[in-house]
Amino acid sequence: MTPDTFDALRGQLLDAARTFAPTTGTAADASDALAGILSGIVDDVDRALAEELEIFPVCHHSPASALAMVRRLREKQPKVVYLELCEDLRPLLDELRNCRLPVALQAFASDLDGFPPGVGPLSVVAPITEASAEYQAIAYALDTPGVELVLVDRSTDHVFQWLPAEPAESARPAPSDGDADADVAERAEEAALHGDAVGIEIGDLRPRFAELEAHLLHHGKVRHWSEWWDQYVEQPLTGADYDAYRQVMVLIGSLFRRLRPSEDERVSRDEERERYMWTRMREHLAASGADPADCLYVCGAYHAASRVEQFGLASDAPYEISPRTGTRWLYGLIPSSHSAIEAQFGLASGSVSIAAATWSKAVTRFRDTPFRLDGQKGAAKRAKRPALPPPSTPAAPVADRLSGFLSSPPALDGLDEAELLGWCVDIVRLARRNGYLASTADAIAVFETSVLLAGMRNRARPTPYDFQDAAVTCIEKDVVPGRRDVRHLCEILLGGDRIGQVGYEALPPLARDVYDRLAPLGVDLEKRTIQRALLDLTANPELTGCSDLLWILRRLLPEDAVRPIMGERRLGERSIQESWDLAIGRHQRSIIELGYEAITVEQALEQRLRRMVWDPKATAAVALEAVEDAVLYLGGGRFAAELGARAVELLSAERTVDDAPEVLRRIRRLLAYYRATEPALPEWCEAFVTAGYAHYCTLLPTAFVDEETGVRQVAAMLGFLFSMESLALALGCDRAQLELAVLQSHPEAPAKVALLWAARSQLGLLPMAELRERCDGLLANPLVVPSFPMYLSGFVQALEPAPALAPFVVELLSKAFARLPDAVLLPWLPKLITTLRDQAGELVPVLVREAGRTFPAALPSLDTFVPPWLGRPSGAAKARPGTAPVGGPVGGPAAELLAGHRAACDAVAALLGCDGGWQEIADGGDPGEAGALLARHPETATAVAVLLDR
Amino acid sequence: MTDDMLRAPAEVKYAEELDWLESIDDGPKPFSWRLSPRMVRLFVLGSERSDGLDREISQKWFGDRSFVERSIVTLASDRGLLLIGDPGTGKSWLAELLSAAICRNSTLVVQGTAGTTEDHIKYSWNVSMVIAKGQSRESMIPSPIMTAMEQGVVGRFEELTRSTSDVQDALISILSEKYVSIPELDDDNIVFAKPGFSIIATANSRDRGVNDLSSALKRRFNFVRIPVVTSRRSEAEIVRFRTTELLRRHHIDLDLPPTLLDILLQSFADLRAAAASATSDDERLESALSTAEQIGVLEDAILHSHFFGDRTLRAQTLAGSLVGSLARRNPEDLAILNKYWHGVVEPRGKQDGGEWQEFLEGGREAIATLS
Repeated sequence: MTPDTFDALRGQLLDAARTFAPTTGTAADASDALAGILSGIVDDVDRALAEELEIFPVCHHSPASALAMVRRLREKQPKVVYLELCEDLRPLLDELRNCRLPVALQAFASDLDGFPPGVGPLSVVAPITEASAEYQAIAYALDTPGVELVLVDRSTDHVFQWLPAEPAESARPAPSDGDADADVAERAEEAALHGDAVGIEIGDLRPRFAELEAHLLHHGKVRHWSEWWDQYVEQPLTGADYDAYRQVMVLIGSLFRRLRPSEDERVSRDEERERYMWTRMREHLAASGADPADCLYVCGAYHAASRVEQFGLASDAPYEISPRTGTRWLYGLIPSSHSAIEAQFGLASGSVSIAAATWSKAVTRFRDTPFRLDGQKGAAKRAKRPALPPPSTPAAPVADRLSGFLSSPPALDGLDEAELLGWCVDIVRLARRNGYLASTADAIAVFETSVLLAGMRNRARPTPYDFQDAAVTCIEKDVVPGRRDVRHLCEILLGGDRIGQVGYEALPPLARDVYDRLAPLGVDLEKRTIQRALLDLTANPELTGCSDLLWILRRLLPEDAVRPIMGERRLGERSIQESWDLAIGRHQRSIIELGYEAITVEQALEQRLRRMVWDPKATAAVALEAVEDAVLYLGGGRFAAELGARAVELLSAERTVDDAPEVLRRIRRLLAYYRATEPALPEWCEAFVTAGYAHYCTLLPTAFVDEETGVRQVAAMLGFLFSMESLALALGCDRAQLELAVLQSHPEAPAKVALLWAARSQLGLLPMAELRERCDGLLANPLVVPSFPMYLSGFVQALEPAPALAPFVVELLSKAFARLPDAVLLPWLPKLITTLRDQAGELVPVLVREAGRTFPAALPSLDTFVPPWLGRPSGAAKARPGTAPVGGPVGGPAAELLAGHRAACDAVAALLGCDGGWQEIADGGDPGEAGALLARHPETATAVAVLLDR
Repeated sequence: MTDDMLRAPAEVKYAEELDWLESIDDGPKPFSWRLSPRMVRLFVLGSERSDGLDREISQKWFGDRSFVERSIVTLASDRGLLLIGDPGTGKSWLAELLSAAICRNSTLVVQGTAGTTEDHIKYSWNVSMVIAKGQSRESMIPSPIMTAMEQGVVGRFEELTRSTSDVQDALISILSEKYVSIPELDDDNIVFAKPGFSIIATANSRDRGVNDLSSALKRRFNFVRIPVVTSRRSEAEIVRFRTTELLRRHHIDLDLPPTLLDILLQSFADLRAAAASATSDDERLESALSTAEQIGVLEDAILHSHFFGDRTLRAQTLAGSLVGSLARRNPEDLAILNKYWHGVVEPRGKQDGGEWQEFLEGGREAIATLS
């Protein structure tokens, strides 16, 4: 290149600056500033092209870039390729050949060291698509012997070191624009493939000034950036030669660089990265001794126009690379998709798909052979790669291609009638399949409208965007009949969203292990559709391992990754048949990310459970849940015991009883499980019961009076104390402690008073008759009647600790219904029902059963029904049948039978140490109805007698 | 000429602009169009410096460029254009502008109502003339649509979905065969549409389900959905544009302070947000809170201050007319406005003071009067 290559252009631009500046600003400064910008752009191009190390400027998702890369690589065949990508991602690139693109390179860290606490887990993704220049460079470098690929950008650790406290909006997934009505859920799912990782991409080229972008869009008469880029840069550059490509790209990079807001925090970060990259490249050249003429530096056009002093091999400006933090980074590949890329980088929906379609068309059109990694999935097999032709000789000095590009309107393609016709026919077919009433007439209309729209927008060949608009105009009516609207159908037609897949070989050990262990199911786990797996565990006991694994995955993965349709796993229960909906292919990312946690799913679960119980906020209930999970999924044993011991610790340290109902529920379940399966209770269970007994006894008096502690909590505490009592006493606890605690309790709230009464009655401190009397007293006192429902609520809750009170609660409820005035009763009823449903679901059957026993079952008997508590005369208990007065003569067939065969009774009496002897049997007593019946039909009795005599 | 009319149609109002555009237009024109599609777009959306015109063309319709392009292209094709959207989104205004630009006649309008009959779409008879001279082309009264067919211009059908299905279906043959036959006559009994004939219909999306279009008719229309303007900037421009026009029409010389415009836009934005988050119709204002409604509020306030005030638009007056226009149901709407006034305007008045404070007081007074 001669030094004055761009002089003519520079002069022209300066003239233009002089002409236009006065109209844009009054001061002479404006003219200077404009001149500075315009000539500076040319200077940047000049400088980048003159650099000893060849700089290849790229733009992301640009087929033109990819095409230029293919041609340049074939022509130059560099020995070293420097690529603007985080240097620590290099080992992952070799795994790309095992994947179906697009996939994203991911670096992940949850174990942070050197970052502020609470920012983790950190995750970076760098998506790679096939229609990109960087993939071409990677494929060339990896598959050509003797070529070295060097990643030179800052490490992922630096990405977060340099990130401001709150990550930039653009780096986080941006919400996709507008047209989200039909299939939001599906798209959202596909767009969320990257999770909440920070995205990095090679060749980010977009105006940083919102106003500049708006201006370009407005005057380009296009709607979004991708469309502008396609029309003004992509199309003219697709067929352009290398010099024109390079000059134009650097020019655009320089323009956006110079027209960026100076306060943008990305500016300093970008410059820092440029210093980093140049320093790394100089280091590599010095170390390897490579000839700069054999090297190629692939970077975003934005960085090609860099002004940092470290720019260029000739520069010796020092730059010290800051050390990484101590954070341990894990690396892997995760599946990506076009829509995920669009969502992550705020691109127009469908633009990446359209770029991919444009790329494949351009490749055919220009008969270029793109590079492709050997064994890459998702492509037809090639017989044998032809050897690269020898590199061509260096070209003649570069001429100025910019003047021509800038002064002429973009040379646009002519109308490709066959292509457009194909699109029109296909969109109608697709629309029809999606419920639209589209016909051939619509295809004709879409064709006509596309051409007319393109004409209005100054282009001969309708772009995919024109076609999309035309299809929406002609086919979309007032409602979308199916799941997809016409706009989305167009995207599908023009390439569709492509979802990548990480191949088995590139998966982390955990994921591979999962695939291997689920192989006996015979289900294709790579498919993105939901697969149904049926497991008959009796017929195929070898599937038990799969079932176990599925239950663990169910616990670890997102809700719908694996979903049991039939079968459940609870303590002490195992299904004999299970049926599962598996969407593992769709949740590949989750499994891969699980792989960062551990080597097997069991280990991952173990770690998670451990983290759960050692969390500073963990409670005894959480620990018990962990124990339950450990028993369910990991077989219990030593690990469950360890978690259980932690539960005991947590329980003793707790100062509130908020979790008491949960603790009671879980420990009951665990105790029942251990009693049924183990010969003896594990130690931790015993410790838990004794600790719990002492703990709740201590807290009981406070809980009774504390206003913030609910009735349900106190009831659960009492439930624990009473239901575990026998076990606790057997383990050395003292009942006096509980009695004292109850005596110390002096609640004021009616519900808690009722609870206390119930507790005292359970302890034998309050006889039932007195309890009944107290409640009757409450009902009789008009001043207390309004709060009677509260007492009732307390008694209902008391069923938990004292189930024996059920008849009494039924009696009380009946009395309340009978006697309470409507004004008190009616407002309370809904509350009773909701309380019963929410908090005492398991108590309802007890109540209902009791009520069924008390009340008559048939309507006719209701008329004569007298409730037991009303009809019972004083001392009626004595008259109950079967309770004969002690001391009097006994008689009847039963007594006679026993007297006739005394051996059994004597044996029992001897065993119990009771030596009262036999009473006299009254003869000829009233045989009663039973006696009369036996007298009339003696056969049965005789037969029994014969049998007994024998 | 425009002085004699309360509201001149677009082709009269912008006659001079249209003449000028026609004189410089060298682009290809479909059928008998007076302007090429690009010039039509320019007329509707206004010119920019980059268009390189000698004079400035003002923007008349505010909205996405692609809606206008799609509408123009539809009119150049074989199908009718159906503009569909919420009330107050500028559908009819766009229809008027398009027909004015394309054929200089935007007055061939059929208004769809529950009482619209097929006669309104095709033709009817002058009864006394039929009695005197019998049925002939002379005694026939063509509908606006038939007139549009005869002249090869654009006919308009407002609120298409308000008319009943059988009436709507009369359009099917007009749109596909492009002629209307008159069986009552023995000869000269077919009216053929001349090239350039097309139909722009508008439909209110809130009326959906009242009289649904048949699939046959849907097929013959291209639907262009006009969304509610949500961009604050374009909304401000629309309100300013329409209000200036109104002031000119009433010969009122009154300044529209930008702060008051801001207050108006902000309160509408707040009320829209509130309506969006409401769970039942009772918690939602009955008004659609469209841009047209804002213009109505502003118009009311301007007229009020011009005739009854001190000829300066004040925040108090604006608040009064806002409450007056939006409170349609008592007590539901008033309760919502009361809540808005005390929950949102009051803190803002205290914080920002100035005009918001006045706005607060004006609104309070108005609510008190209406309650």
